[in-house]
Amino acid sequence: MSTDEFRAKALAWLQQNAKPFDDNEPSSGGATIEESKAFQKGLWEAGLAGITWPKEYGGQGLGTAEQLAFNEVAADFRMPVGPFVIGLGMPAPVLLEFGTEEQKKRHIAPMLRGDEIWSQLFSEPSGGSDVASLQTSAVRVEDGWLINGQKVWTSGAQFSDFGAVLVRTDPTRPKHQGITMFIVDLHHPGVTVRPLVVATGDAPFNEVFFDDVHVPEDAVIGEVNNGWAVAVAMLRYERVTIGTGVRARANPLGYDALVELVRARGLDDDPSVRRTLAQVYARESAMRSYSAVLHQEAKAGVPIGARGSAAKLAGATFPLWVSDLVQEIFGEEIALQTRDTLPIARSILAAPGGATAGGSNEIQRNIIAERVLGLPKDAGVDKNVPFNQLKLSK
Amino acid sequence: MTLIDTDDQRDLASSVKRFVSGQAPMAAVRKTIASEASFDPDVWRRLSQELGVAGLPIPEQYGGAGASWSDLVVALRELGSGLVPTPVLATSVLATGTLLALDDEEARATWLPRFAEGTAVGTLAVSEGARSPWAVADSTCVVEDGTVTGTKTAVLNAAEADVLLVTTASGVVLVEKGAPGLTITPADALDLTRGIATVTLERTPGRLLAGDAAAAVDAVADLANLALASEQAAATKACLDMTTEYAKIRYSFGQPIGIYQGVKHPLADIYTDWALTDAAIRKASESLAEGSETASLDAAVARHLASSGYVEAAKQTMLLHGGIGFTWEHDAHLYYRNAITGNVLLGGPAAQQDRIAQKLGV
Repeated sequence: MSTDEFRAKALAWLQQNAKPFDDNEPSSGGATIEESKAFQKGLWEAGLAGITWPKEYGGQGLGTAEQLAFNEVAADFRMPVGPFVIGLGMPAPVLLEFGTEEQKKRHIAPMLRGDEIWSQLFSEPSGGSDVASLQTSAVRVEDGWLINGQKVWTSGAQFSDFGAVLVRTDPTRPKHQGITMFIVDLHHPGVTVRPLVVATGDAPFNEVFFDDVHVPEDAVIGEVNNGWAVAVAMLRYERVTIGTGVRARANPLGYDALVELVRARGLDDDPSVRRTLAQVYARESAMRSYSAVLHQEAKAGVPIGARGSAAKLAGATFPLWVSDLVQEIFGEEIALQTRDTLPIARSILAAPGGATAGGSNEIQRNIIAERVLGLPKDAGVDKNVPFNQLKLSK
Repeated sequence: MTLIDTDDQRDLASSVKRFVSGQAPMAAVRKTIASEASFDPDVWRRLSQELGVAGLPIPEQYGGAGASWSDLVVALRELGSGLVPTPVLATSVLATGTLLALDDEEARATWLPRFAEGTAVGTLAVSEGARSPWAVADSTCVVEDGTVTGTKTAVLNAAEADVLLVTTASGVVLVEKGAPGLTITPADALDLTRGIATVTLERTPGRLLAGDAAAAVDAVADLANLALASEQAAATKACLDMTTEYAKIRYSFGQPIGIYQGVKHPLADIYTDWALTDAAIRKASESLAEGSETASLDAAVARHLASSGYVEAAKQTMLLHGGIGFTWEHDAHLYYRNAITGNVLLGGPAAQQDRIAQKLGV
């Protein structure tokens, strides 16, 4: 099948099974988990899930061209795939890279089919950007490990079946060297999930508590005490997911939505408003071009490496910057609308969240400076000290 | 649409780069700056004849390479990175682009072969002050009895030009060097690496060229945007590289300054903006080469991002170098001057934003 035929197939399926974007509808999709699962299953059955992944694990075994064709077509539809974005964006590629044959056979296809929802559990209350300071522990017991502790900022944990959980397995080693990643069944009775209400008033995240949660020996992803390398790989996938996942039409702070609102308010003949819109378009368009460049380079065998951090930083600073600009454009209307009547009001409130999730802007800048530009890394006081001798946040 | 360099483009980039480091390094650029001339004619001749840079966008029938604008972009990157003073923007982009966009065979046949071999410099006299950088319909230059009268500002390489293409409300008029009534007053310009002059014409004989001037000049605005953006993004990268290297070897408080986040973070921001700009230029370059309907928009986007990003990078280059970056001896001010000039030349920030909005149909 040629790329054009694939594109036509994807479009035909989406026209049958998904609703096109309606800009007058509030941005939250409103699909239930069951509807999302059914949609994902249909997507997979139509050969549109796991497009570039190996066939033997349930993927389609196709190339980047097909993936890009799908992304392009799909941007015009409201796809209720939210619950699967994390699992398929982060734990799944990490399993493909580090998992055992058995783990890949066991989990990848169910994820693609919509039968398994996954979460990623890294952050803890005592340290966000400094992920490696995590304190949730696992101790060896007969036939496996026993996990105790707490994670936070976990998206979708309330409806997830499994989690990729980063845990300290040897506190006598320096912080990066005593960490292991586990597959944890989130339906285990020792797992408690509590919603976390954020600044917008929504509860898109959870706190997750582990109380004597037993996991078997084969739940380890990669090797015991080598979980940091696995985590770094997952964070790399996360940055690509966040940095390139901006779908212009879905974003109230994106150019398309802003220009419509500007027209609706009759502000489009104001030269300063037009110039502001031009700036927004320019930056958004450049972000799309950059993501296309990275895709083409990856396809040509040039590693993206830490440049994903530049995509993430750009993606996270964009809504913060546009939040400032829309205050100039719309003035007091911003103050008088609630987050439910004006989508940009919600987006303004949500903007700081993107700059802290998945590694703060400051962390991304450090990564770019050190790994792309080659600037010296701060020696740090915690590198070679056994973890149990470090000063930690409570 | 391919957004990464082809093998041929990589080869071209490395030969121009080699030429710049061998024949036009910063020491040579400074010699040119100190001289009367605004560029070294020998460097331009060799760039044209040995590397074929001048003739890249000129069709083979006129003695050029018949390559695409995206190939010229590759060469402009290397020249822009080293601030090499040449008439490439004036001749190969503005004058060549205008002749190719108009419909005057005689002018093409006369001038394009000489541009390609680097034996003639051409330029486009288009600006009439900051408020009309691409004046055609509202031009105050008047054509009468085979002569042209008026004033043009910020004309690139006018002092060296063998031929000037002058925009007027009646069309584009071709004026040759030494024509009666033609006065060229070189500016003591902020940018030491560009020759800029004010051109006054007083009943100066010239030939009105065939073709749709407004459409041609609008097309040339796109080329100018792409070309300037390419030079600027490359110079931005040069500023970033220079400052990054300095941050690795300059020690303060017992550590290289590049360890401190106060230095690291602005450099990371410059990298990120440069990466987005570079991608936007690649997109614009492909759009223009393919004749895409978003070409004008893409070129204006690239220019807007490149111009503003370069000003920021050049400013940070001076600041992060500390006192040494403020000395005449250091190259930082050469980039800073070039950045500011490029930001306001051929349509400044507001004009570019207006052009983006116009092409978007807002």
